[in-house]
Amino acid sequence: MSTVASSRQAGALYWPVQLRRNVGVRGLFAVVMAFLVAYGFLFPGLLTASGFAKFTQSWFPLALVAMAQAILMLTGGISLAIGAMVSLGAVIAATTMTGPLGVAGGAAAVALTGIGIGGATGFIVVKLRLPAIVVTLAGSFIIGGAALLILPRPGGAIPEWLSDLLAGNTPAAFVLLLLIVLLWKLYLATPLGLSLYAAGENPVGAYRSGVPVDGARVAAYAISGLLCTGAGLFVAAQTGSGDPVIGTAFTLNSIAAAVLGGIGFLGGQGTMRGALAGSLLLSLMISVMFFLGFTPVAQYVAQGLIIIGAVAIPQFRKVQQ
Amino acid sequence: MTAWKETAARRRVLTILRSRPFLTVAIVAAVWIVASFVSRGFGAYGHLRYLVELAAVIGLVAAGQTFVVIAGGIDLSVAAIVTVSAVSLPLLSWQADPTGLTAVLAVLALTTTIGLVNGLGVALLRVHPMIMTLAMATFLQGLLIIIAGGSAVTAENPLVRWLGNARPAGIPAGVLLWVAVSVIVLAAMHATSFGARLFAMGANPLAATLSGVPFASTTLAVYGISGFTSGLAGVLVLGMNGQGYVGIGDPYLLASIAAVVLGGTSILGGLGTYAGTIPGAILLVTITALITVVNASPGWRSILFGSLILGLLLLSGREQARR
Repeated sequence: MSTVASSRQAGALYWPVQLRRNVGVRGLFAVVMAFLVAYGFLFPGLLTASGFAKFTQSWFPLALVAMAQAILMLTGGISLAIGAMVSLGAVIAATTMTGPLGVAGGAAAVALTGIGIGGATGFIVVKLRLPAIVVTLAGSFIIGGAALLILPRPGGAIPEWLSDLLAGNTPAAFVLLLLIVLLWKLYLATPLGLSLYAAGENPVGAYRSGVPVDGARVAAYAISGLLCTGAGLFVAAQTGSGDPVIGTAFTLNSIAAAVLGGIGFLGGQGTMRGALAGSLLLSLMISVMFFLGFTPVAQYVAQGLIIIGAVAIPQFRKVQQ
Repeated sequence: MTAWKETAARRRVLTILRSRPFLTVAIVAAVWIVASFVSRGFGAYGHLRYLVELAAVIGLVAAGQTFVVIAGGIDLSVAAIVTVSAVSLPLLSWQADPTGLTAVLAVLALTTTIGLVNGLGVALLRVHPMIMTLAMATFLQGLLIIIAGGSAVTAENPLVRWLGNARPAGIPAGVLLWVAVSVIVLAAMHATSFGARLFAMGANPLAATLSGVPFASTTLAVYGISGFTSGLAGVLVLGMNGQGYVGIGDPYLLASIAAVVLGGTSILGGLGTYAGTIPGAILLVTITALITVVNASPGWRSILFGSLILGLLLLSGREQARR
C-alpha cells in the first residue's frame, strides 16, 4: 500500500521536477520556436516529408557532437578533440564498410574506436590528473594524425543503400535522434548516470559520499567518443565518402551549441534538452543565414556576434538582479 | 652562523632544482644534447640560434597567455590576433613615415583594443573566457577574409623587416625583443602589486574580490596585455616571413597554451611563472624541429607531436589531487 502510494507520489513528482528543470532554458525554447517559424516561412518545404528529412539530417551530426560536449561539460570536463574524432569516425566508416568487414563490421569498428579513444582520454584526464583542455588539444593532433594515416586524401566509399537509408528521403536521422535521447534518459537512471551530475557539481563531496566520481567521468568520456565517431559515420554517409579533415568545424560548434543550451563550464549545470535546443538553434541560424544569401564570411562574423550575445544577455540580467 | 647560512643556501638550491621551470630547462638541455649527438648539425650554433628565433614568436604569444591563465582565464583568440596583426600591418604601410614606426604602433593599438574587448566581455558581461575569446576568434576570422581576401600581402615596412632579419651583435633582433619583453613580464608578474593581484584572482576570484582586488580592471588589463603581445608576435612573424596571409597565426594557439602548461603554470590559474613558459616555448620548437628531422608523413608527424606533448605533460603538467 505504502509502496504504491510512494511510487504514485514519485510519479506525480516527476513532471513538476522536469518542468522546473526547464526554467533556465524556456527563453531558449522560445527563440528556437521563433527561428523555426522564420525558417518555415523562408523555406516552406520544411513541412514536406523530404524537406523535413533534409532538415533533420543537417541538424543530426551537430546534435550528436553537442551531446558529446555536453556530457563532458556536465562532469566538469571539456574536449577540444571533437572535430578530430568526427573525422576519424568518418574515415574508418569510409574505408571499412565496403571492405571485408561489411557494414555491420564497419559500424562496430567505428563504435569501438569511439569508445576506446574516448575511454583512453578519460583515463588520462581522470586517473593521471592532467587538465582536460590540454590533453584533448594534444589528443586532437594524435587523432587527426591517425585519420590522415587511414585516409591521406578524401576517398573511400559508403554502400549506396546505407547512404540512401541515413541521408535519403527518410526521417531516419530524426528517428535515430529520438532513440539516442531515449537511451540518454535510460542512462541517467543507471548508477553511473546518476553520478554524472554529482561528479560535476561537487566532485569532492560526491566522492566522500561514495559516488563513483572517477568511473562516471571516464564513462562520460567514452560515451562522448562514441557519439563523435557516430556523427562521423553519419557525415560519411551524407557525403558518400570519407575526408580526414571533415570534422574540424565541429569542435567550436559543439562548444557553442552546449553553451547556447545553458551548459555551464564548471560542471553539473545544465540539461541535455538545453544542449539539443542549442544545437538546433545553431543549425537553424546557419541555414537561415544561408537562405538570406549571407556569404560564408559574413556567417562567421554573425555567428561570433550571436554567440556572444546569446551567452551575455542572460548573464547580464543575472548580474543586474 | 655559517652553518645556518649554508643550510639556507642549500635549501634555496634544492628549491630551484625541484621547481618546474628548472625541470623544463633540464628537459630542453637533455633533448638538445641527445639530438646533437644523434643528428649532425642539430647542435650547430646557427641551428640553435634559429630555433630560439622561432621560439621568440611562441614566447611572445605565450607571454600574454601566461598572464591570462594565471589570472584564471584562457585566451583562445591569440591565433586570430596574430593573424590580424600580420595581415593589417602591410595595409597600413603606405603612410608617409620612413621608419614605419607609426604603422607598427597603430597595429599594436588595434590588437590591444581587441584584447580589451575580450576583457570587457569577460569582466562586465560575465561571458566565460573560453566562449568570449572563441567567439572573438570566429568574428576576427570572418573580418580578416573580408579585409584581406585569400591573397598574401607583402610587408614593405622597414622597421618590421629589420625586426625579422637584422642581427645586431650576431643575435637576431626578434630574440632581443623577446628578452626585453621577458624582463618586463617577469618584473610585472613577480615584483609589482599588479602581479600579486593576478595570482590572488586566479587562485580564488571571490576571495580576491572581497579582499579589494579590482576584478574588472585587472581582467581588462590581462586580456589587453594578451592582445598586445599577440600583436607584437604578429609583427615579428611578418618580419620573419616577409608576407602576411590569413591563417599565418593558426599554429600559435596550441603552441602558446602548450608552452604555458609545459612550463608548469596551472591551467586552472593562480599558480605559475613566465620563467617556465620561456623554456616551454623553446622545448616546443625543438620538438617540432626533431619531428621534421625524422621525415615522416604528415599523419605520423601530427601523431608524434601530440604524443610528445602528452608525454611531456605527464612529466610537468600534472594537477594536484583535490581530495
